[in-house]
Amino acid sequence: MITLQGLEKHYGKTAALSQVDLTIQKGEFLAILGPSGCGKTTLLRMLAGFMKPTAGTIRFGDTEVANSKHSSKPENRNIGMVFQSFALWPHMTVEEHIRFALKNHRFSQKRTAEEQAARITEVLQLVGMEAFRERYPAALSGGQQQRVALARAIAPEPDILLMDEPLSALDAELRISMRKEIKQIHKKLGATIIYVTHDQGEALAMADRVLVMQQGQIEQADTPETIYQNPKTPFVATFVGKANLVEGTWNGNHFIPAGSQLSWQDNGVSVQLKQKQLFPVRPEEWQLLPADADGLKGEVIISQFQGTERHYVIRTNSQDYQASLPIAASAWREGELVSLHVRGRETQYTTDEILLELR
Amino acid sequence: MQLTMKSRQLEKGRHIALRKLPALVGTLILFFFFLLPILRLLLMSFTSGETISFGAYSEVLKESVTWRTLWNTIYIVLGSTVLSVILGIMMAAIMAYTDVRGKSAMQLFIYLPFIIPSYITTLAWVQFFSSSGPLKGLPDWLIPNLYSVGGIIFVLGISHYPLVYLMTVQVFRRIPRDAELAAMVAGASRITSWRKVILPMALPGICSGALLAFLSNLDNFGVPAFLGIPANIRVLSTYIYEQVIGYGPSAFSRAAVLSVLLGIVAVAATLIQVWLLRRSKVTETTVPDNEPRIQLPSSQRRILQTVLWIFLLGTSLVPFLAMGTVSLVRAYGIDLTWENLSFENYRYILFEDEKVIRSLGNSLLLGLITSIVCLVFGTLFAYYRSYKQGRFPKVLEAIITMPYALPGTVLALCIILMWMQPLPGWYPGVYGTPAILLIAYITRFFVLQFRGSYTAFSQLDARMEEAARTNGANLFTRWKQILLPLILPGVLSGALLVFLTSLTELTVSSMLWSSGAETVGVIIFSFEQAGYSTYSTAFSSVIVLAILLGGLAYLIVQRKGKQRGRKA
Repeated sequence: MITLQGLEKHYGKTAALSQVDLTIQKGEFLAILGPSGCGKTTLLRMLAGFMKPTAGTIRFGDTEVANSKHSSKPENRNIGMVFQSFALWPHMTVEEHIRFALKNHRFSQKRTAEEQAARITEVLQLVGMEAFRERYPAALSGGQQQRVALARAIAPEPDILLMDEPLSALDAELRISMRKEIKQIHKKLGATIIYVTHDQGEALAMADRVLVMQQGQIEQADTPETIYQNPKTPFVATFVGKANLVEGTWNGNHFIPAGSQLSWQDNGVSVQLKQKQLFPVRPEEWQLLPADADGLKGEVIISQFQGTERHYVIRTNSQDYQASLPIAASAWREGELVSLHVRGRETQYTTDEILLELR
Repeated sequence: MQLTMKSRQLEKGRHIALRKLPALVGTLILFFFFLLPILRLLLMSFTSGETISFGAYSEVLKESVTWRTLWNTIYIVLGSTVLSVILGIMMAAIMAYTDVRGKSAMQLFIYLPFIIPSYITTLAWVQFFSSSGPLKGLPDWLIPNLYSVGGIIFVLGISHYPLVYLMTVQVFRRIPRDAELAAMVAGASRITSWRKVILPMALPGICSGALLAFLSNLDNFGVPAFLGIPANIRVLSTYIYEQVIGYGPSAFSRAAVLSVLLGIVAVAATLIQVWLLRRSKVTETTVPDNEPRIQLPSSQRRILQTVLWIFLLGTSLVPFLAMGTVSLVRAYGIDLTWENLSFENYRYILFEDEKVIRSLGNSLLLGLITSIVCLVFGTLFAYYRSYKQGRFPKVLEAIITMPYALPGTVLALCIILMWMQPLPGWYPGVYGTPAILLIAYITRFFVLQFRGSYTAFSQLDARMEEAARTNGANLFTRWKQILLPLILPGVLSGALLVFLTSLTELTVSSMLWSSGAETVGVIIFSFEQAGYSTYSTAFSSVIVLAILLGGLAYLIVQRKGKQRGRKA
């Protein structure tokens, strides 16, 4: 178990990280998600021991590994790390990389030469790189290099595996297939994985729990489903679900979009969004109806075919909204007038009573 | 209870102090070796006798010879810089953009006058234009007199154009081909697009090349010493030398004043260069485009190739052949024929004159110790500089750069003033021994090693060391197994540069040598001053051969370094 308490990091006056409290369970796959500069890399590097916190503590199990005065060195922590740039050593073969880790890692069990060789084979088989033992990094493709980096990190069987955007240097297709492999390796190892990424797809697909960060603070930490379906803050709603934030007025558990007489029923919008008088609608939640149906009236500005779905931009009196509908639905042309309806939310006209109440 | 708390806190305080100790000691050493000598020179220039005054300044600035020297310096430095810039840009443009063949061989010849010390190049040119040289059939008025302002400008310009070439050729290659095409699509002719697009984009590179050439011309001692002193043409660097060697009553404070003048010009130029380089950083991010952009018709290409080869061989190979020829005749001035051919000069310098062998031994030993000291400490400092954030390491870097940015004569004077009495009451007695040469060389060339090592470190992904740390490797293992193997080629080529440069150093040595502590440069200089041209050319030929071998080793080390991948 990893416990972070009141963790802060300041560079001069700017805070890269402020008031981070977090508990990570043993064996958990935690993804830290956020835009660049949100503090996710700072947090990871602090967990690795490359940085000392300005305030707060980090505990691995019962041992305190870092506070504002002392931070134990990376080489003394029971961790493995995979880097964005892979950080392979160009003068060593694949096999030598793994052997280096086995020999030097302080928490790795002591092995004889034969046991080391066996472990090297085992790990390389796990990542599917056994055929490349003798190769130098320069003779490997990007995906292969990433597998070696992964093998090097997991070979000494560390308790905690830190991954710093490990897939962002790979091309799109490879990224998708590596997601599955990393997930499987996590199942086999049972190590705690802390995975930093700016790609919400990666975080949602792999993690047990997603931690969304912005401006050095934790916005929300929940399961991928909750993060996606019940965002707590406007930032999480827009960053993870790409949601449209409809402005209007909350009245108990009814929402009245600005400039309309509609009323949408609440099903799980967070307190914070309600306080800000916002209603999040993800692009795929919209339904486009003919202009005479009930709903927000708007004009189709852009209609784009994307293969599996069609993207629309719809301009209403107050805002532009993004919508994305399955290709099966009938297509709207640019310039057509439509009525926006939220799928699964009952839309009704507000009664005069409510309007009176609002006044 | 409280007591133990207190003692523990004390313990902790002591630990922090201990950890900061190496940095503190290092800073003090850097300050003492690199900055203090320069401060001592400044102080000296304001000292007359025991009191602080501007006396030396007003005395020196009143003399007409000071002003004549200053004007000579300006003419010569500007003239040779213009020559270097024209040659450098032309060569860079041709090499970057046209499809002439044999570029890599040409490149080697371009660098040749650059790695051979300029005083040896001067000797070679003197022999080339001498009355018994290869041009002897021509009428006298066609053979230029090198012992003149024009001659000094010519040799300096030829020696330093590779600097301009070096700074501009990569800039030219990095200018996107599209920028030029876009201008031509917009209706500009090739000449207009050059004038309006290429040259402005290359300006930062050209400027920093020009300033580098300017500084080298200002700093140069060998050329004006060999060509100017016999013709009574003084520039600041040779004038300072004459002051110090002359050893008059106020020699040091007068030389200090002149050095401050020269130093101000040099430091100002360096600052401008640093500022320009910072601004040009944006263009450095694009990848160089090595494909030729101008396809010449084959007849034109052949003509251009011929012209280039005539120029390159004419400026690098032929003068040295002329020099070699002189070293092989029995007596200066007679023709090289089978009867006159002799190795007598070589026999004399290598076996008879013990000063030559001693100087060779001195220079080799000095070069070796200098390069080892610089290798170890320069690399450590480069490591510190590359991982430590903040302003302080940059300040330290500026301090170690100063002795190299200052003209050699100025540094030599700084070293003399500093090491006669480094601290009040401490007379280490190094002045007049080989030790002062060693101190001067280390101070001057430290930054060369630092740069080589720093480049090696900055080409190394910092994550590689971090990856080793997360695998439990301690500092020793990291250096031994990760850092050293990866930086070694860069570090070694830096060390080779330091070694070669100190081996043939003349400027600083000419002011600091003493009997028994002669160096190669000093011996060649004194042979030439005494009129023993056959000996000086023979010794120079030996040195040129040695440098060529060294240069070859340098190239091999670099090529090896390139084969190893750096950033994954």
